[in-house]
Amino acid sequence: MGDSGNEYRLLMPLIPALLIVPVLAIAGVESVDAAFLIVLAPFIAFPVILISGQLYNGKPTWKETLKEGGVIGLSSLLVSLSTAVWILVDYLRGAREISEDAGGRVAASWIDWISFDVLHSDYTMSSERIIGVGVWVDSVTLMLLFVATFLCFLICWFSLGYMNTDPINEDRNHRFYAEFVLFAMGMFGMVLADNFLWLFIFWEIMGLCSYLLIGFYFWKESAAYAAKKAFLTTRVGDVFLMVGLLILYDIYGSLEFSVIFADPSINGTVDSDKLFWALLMLFIGAVGKSAQFPLHVWLPDAMEGPTPVSALIHAATMVNAGLYLVARMVPFVDVGHHGVPGLDELGLIVAYIGGITAFMAASIAFVQNDIKKVLAYSTMSQLAYIFTGLGVSLWFYNNGKTDAATLVFGGSMFHLFNHAMAKGMLFMASGSVIHEVHHAHDHLHEGGDHDHHDFDPQDMRNMGGLASKMPITSAAMMIGSMSIIGIPLIGGFWSKEAIVAKTWKASLDYEPLMFGPAILVLLTAGMTGFYMSRMWFMTFAGEPKHEVVEHVHESTPWIKEPLVILSIISALGGFGLSVFGIVKWLAKPYSYDLGINKDSFLDQVVYELEHAFLPDDPNLRIVGWTTIFLSLVIGPIFAARVHGGSLREGQTSGPLVSWLVWLSGKFGSQDVTEMSQSSLSEALQNRLYFDHYYELALSKTVLPFATLAAWFDRTVIDGIIKKVESNSVLGSVQIRRVTTGRASDYILMVAVGALSIFALAWGVSG
Amino acid sequence: MTSELDGIDLQLLLPELVMTLGLAAIIIIPNLGDAKFRIPLTSLRVPVLIGGTRFPATRDPRLPNWMTLATLSAALAASTMALLDPPSSGQVGNALEVDQFSSLLTNLFICVLILCTVSATQRLPSDPDAPAPSEGDDEESESSKTAALYDNRRQADFHILLLTLGLGMSLMAKSTHLFMLFVCLELASLSSYVLVGFHKESKEGGEAGTKYFIVGSVASAIGIYGMSLLYLWSGDLSVSGLSQSWQSMESLDPIAAAGVGMMLVAFGFKVGAAPFHLAIPDAYSGTSSMVAGVLATASKAMGFVALFRLLLTIAMPASGPAFWYGTLAVISVITMTWGNLAALSSDNPKRVFAYSSVAHAGYMLAAVSAIGSGIAEPAAQELIVMAVIFHLCVLVLFKMGPFMVLSSIEREGSSHRVSGLNGLASRDPLVAASMFVFMLSLAGVPPFSGFLSKLLMINGIVTVSAGTGGASTILSWATSVNPVFWLAVAVVLNSALSMFYYLRMGMVMFFEPNEDGESSPCNPVVRALIVSMAILSLAFGIGPPSEWLLGLAEDAAAALLS
Repeated sequence: MGDSGNEYRLLMPLIPALLIVPVLAIAGVESVDAAFLIVLAPFIAFPVILISGQLYNGKPTWKETLKEGGVIGLSSLLVSLSTAVWILVDYLRGAREISEDAGGRVAASWIDWISFDVLHSDYTMSSERIIGVGVWVDSVTLMLLFVATFLCFLICWFSLGYMNTDPINEDRNHRFYAEFVLFAMGMFGMVLADNFLWLFIFWEIMGLCSYLLIGFYFWKESAAYAAKKAFLTTRVGDVFLMVGLLILYDIYGSLEFSVIFADPSINGTVDSDKLFWALLMLFIGAVGKSAQFPLHVWLPDAMEGPTPVSALIHAATMVNAGLYLVARMVPFVDVGHHGVPGLDELGLIVAYIGGITAFMAASIAFVQNDIKKVLAYSTMSQLAYIFTGLGVSLWFYNNGKTDAATLVFGGSMFHLFNHAMAKGMLFMASGSVIHEVHHAHDHLHEGGDHDHHDFDPQDMRNMGGLASKMPITSAAMMIGSMSIIGIPLIGGFWSKEAIVAKTWKASLDYEPLMFGPAILVLLTAGMTGFYMSRMWFMTFAGEPKHEVVEHVHESTPWIKEPLVILSIISALGGFGLSVFGIVKWLAKPYSYDLGINKDSFLDQVVYELEHAFLPDDPNLRIVGWTTIFLSLVIGPIFAARVHGGSLREGQTSGPLVSWLVWLSGKFGSQDVTEMSQSSLSEALQNRLYFDHYYELALSKTVLPFATLAAWFDRTVIDGIIKKVESNSVLGSVQIRRVTTGRASDYILMVAVGALSIFALAWGVSG
Repeated sequence: MTSELDGIDLQLLLPELVMTLGLAAIIIIPNLGDAKFRIPLTSLRVPVLIGGTRFPATRDPRLPNWMTLATLSAALAASTMALLDPPSSGQVGNALEVDQFSSLLTNLFICVLILCTVSATQRLPSDPDAPAPSEGDDEESESSKTAALYDNRRQADFHILLLTLGLGMSLMAKSTHLFMLFVCLELASLSSYVLVGFHKESKEGGEAGTKYFIVGSVASAIGIYGMSLLYLWSGDLSVSGLSQSWQSMESLDPIAAAGVGMMLVAFGFKVGAAPFHLAIPDAYSGTSSMVAGVLATASKAMGFVALFRLLLTIAMPASGPAFWYGTLAVISVITMTWGNLAALSSDNPKRVFAYSSVAHAGYMLAAVSAIGSGIAEPAAQELIVMAVIFHLCVLVLFKMGPFMVLSSIEREGSSHRVSGLNGLASRDPLVAASMFVFMLSLAGVPPFSGFLSKLLMINGIVTVSAGTGGASTILSWATSVNPVFWLAVAVVLNSALSMFYYLRMGMVMFFEPNEDGESSPCNPVVRALIVSMAILSLAFGIGPPSEWLLGLAEDAAAALLS
């Protein structure tokens, strides 16, 4: 473990990274023009870490001072973070004009790479086309950029403690950090990209990195399998995404946001059916990336990667990509701003997929015993909330109900923020638990590792009563869970409330078909209360269920700081930001500032509270209180009855945590053995058999085709290429015979060449 | 040529003056010693400095290398100043002109020579403390000691030749008079012949130098004969005068055409066009790698400068196709195909790169012939010339780079087989990664600069020709389009063919096991240069650096064609 004061001296290299932004600002660079730094810094760090790792592995400086590349990665991510914050602050200060025409976008700089004329299918050449990169900065970009850079930085920090103290990662961590920063770069680039092509490229970079990182322990068969599964499943979505982009290109002749979003209807001439299919394809791509039904099967398996990777995928990067893509569909359907009417089925589909996934994932989470798997399903379910909200918002936009649409859009994006902060922290906290339990187990069984392989440090059935051993982690996890559950006034409550209320509003006032998603998200609210509480109680409350627990200590450096920072943000961020009107700012940055929009701060607070707890519409009031009742009371109480329990006599934890543990013991215990043996429970244990049937279908359809394709590739394509190569080599041997090595032959050839020049010139001129 | 060399003119020729002074210094300074001359009949001894026992400072064998580096750096600075702040009138007498084009090319030549000089510290090492062979040595250590002393002795010779080469090339880029051009070309060529045969103790070196010299002389002789025909035809050898006569010519005069055709042979030899390229692989494989790198980059660029002057400025009709374009198109296709095919089965990396350099000459010749096709607008002409100049510039990075890598392996004595590269990735990962970058760039893989330059050339050819066809089906279009279009197709097909041998290099470096198992003692300065060249190969393929260099190339192209 080492002296922790000594450990933090490693942060010295971060100081120059922190100085870059002030230096640029003083030099008079515009913040938006520096946006490329966000992508560039990790992009440079990637090869540096990878190559240095190959060169210096095992050297003490590399291992102790640079943490096998971790400090380099952290510095590069700090550059990204500080640049992102700089842009955000400039945007909020209004350093650049933000207009409604530009959709709240800051005019961005371009870097041209290649420009050339284009040959068309009728064999005519036409105007110049430029391939280049630019950035697109608006409120949604900035929010996601902040989430991504901030969380990536904290997760990298956490990894310094988590990865580098595990002997299994020895001399392998440079690979982890290199892939980590590349992954981060993919996300930053995707969020900043100002056209769909670059978005797709960065999207694919993330896909690649998820494969590499999930399969980090590639010698474990399950990890290799999970990596393959994640890659292939998201590839299915990616293919659809690509088709969607091709249709879009066909419609608009460009993939640039500025061209498309200027007038998505092209003066009302766009065929809405065609556009519908394009957007649907894009949505399927998003479904794959964000692990929604029916392409959700990869996400739980992705837990095979190291825990920081789970945090990275689930909170900071990958799964948010799909949401971001759907959020970018708004201009297409916003009939108030040149949108194309007649696309409201799209909103319905998105909302239904969201509702179904939310419910399904929550029910599977009921029976999971692996702490990370619970969190994985909870991610799926919470993302589904956001999808539902976005779907409803698309529907509203397309029916001209712009006010309601902006509220639910902003609410959904805000939920993304709350969820990311809470989930990033939950994963890191669970990592802390796993790490310490694992260490305790190793400590206990030093020397003889007789049941090393039987013991699973991630299984909550081996835990219990950890609250007294890990006060910081348990408090952090409590706050994170409360944010996810939506306990009033904390984190996710503010955004979840908006989504549920607006979904119900759509179903009650306008579209009866919206009732499906509406009832599903309402039920899910209660279920979330149950499974999150269950996870917490199983881990931290009650009597220890395994001897290992007694030896757990919260002692690894680098792990606590991110937990504390994110706990504060999760606890207070939701309330604070909604008071400052983030919901409206996210949807309409040109009309609302992120700040006090009412007369005074107090007015604003009262307005927000009134809005949340006592809305004007009586129906919504009922919905709102039902949600609160389900998630705050029903779910947690059931969980406490099954899994709650006081700590062992004489052991205490932090003030609030102790009280909660004590409370959980008061509900008595209920025996659920019978329920857990029911066929429903078994189906849920088996994840509703999705994986099973997918595998069956694949082995029956895809596998024979793949075998055929492999044969074709080997014999026909490779055959042709090999033939070309061998014939070329034959020709090469022949032609090299002319090079005899005798100067007289060479002179002869010069003469022959001179004569042929004459002959050719003669032929041309004659 | 009656004009006086006044102050302004001297400033214009500052890089060349610096090189001349440096040259004189390298000849004189290492010979300074304490020799004294006794005035007859007296006992007065007057120091004459030349000869005698040399001073410790002048005796140091590393001195020529340092002086060359200093001279070249000063020349580079002078020429960069001229490039960034072009003189309003660059005319020097009637024979030389300093403009954006010649300054850029001068910069290019000097950069190549600097790289070569740095490499030479490794390939041709100088050791001030080299011991003399003594009685008790066995045969092996005696020969190595002798070799070290030998290397010390010939430091000055090598660097004098390098500076002469630089002087000839940079003056040649500035020549606007064919006679001056040829004299400078020969100054550079003669130095390069000697450099090729510099390692005269090895059999291949001497043989390669001699062959290169003989074939080169024959080509030059033909070229001079062609030049005399041109003089016979117009009575003037200045480029502008010839160009005027050419444009006012009503029908193609056979004497003029024959003259240009014969000069094409001479310059074709310089750029390595088929079938005049045959001595090139022998020369490259016989000489040390960094000299081969100079031949493949600077010498080739020099040939293209001459070709530009001859074909684009002189033999360019006022309208319609130039008589040489079909000829050049045929030559270019033969050149690139021959180069790529022959490289496929070569097992000597230097020969592979020699052939690859022949293939690259073919690509550039194809682009040049598109200019002469008579269907190119002035803007398109400028685009193509810009592409070729850009290609010549970035070639310095990713062609000189591999040769520098080879020269660092050569010290271990194994660059005559591809297998010498085996397992380089495990011996020296940075150098291997850089080498792989060079290979990708040579093959034209995005986003490296080799891709950009090749794309620009193909784009130029296609821009010129693609609009010429017009039909409803591919087949009828294919028959109606201007044949120049097929040059682009040839370039693309050849690029695909070249992947075989470029990637093979990458494969042996990364996947084959290390043969000798020794780690290569790569000089840290050389390694840093190699890595930074790899980074630049990437940087000049994307973003602002590429725009900057393209801007320079564009100005140069405009200056050349104006």
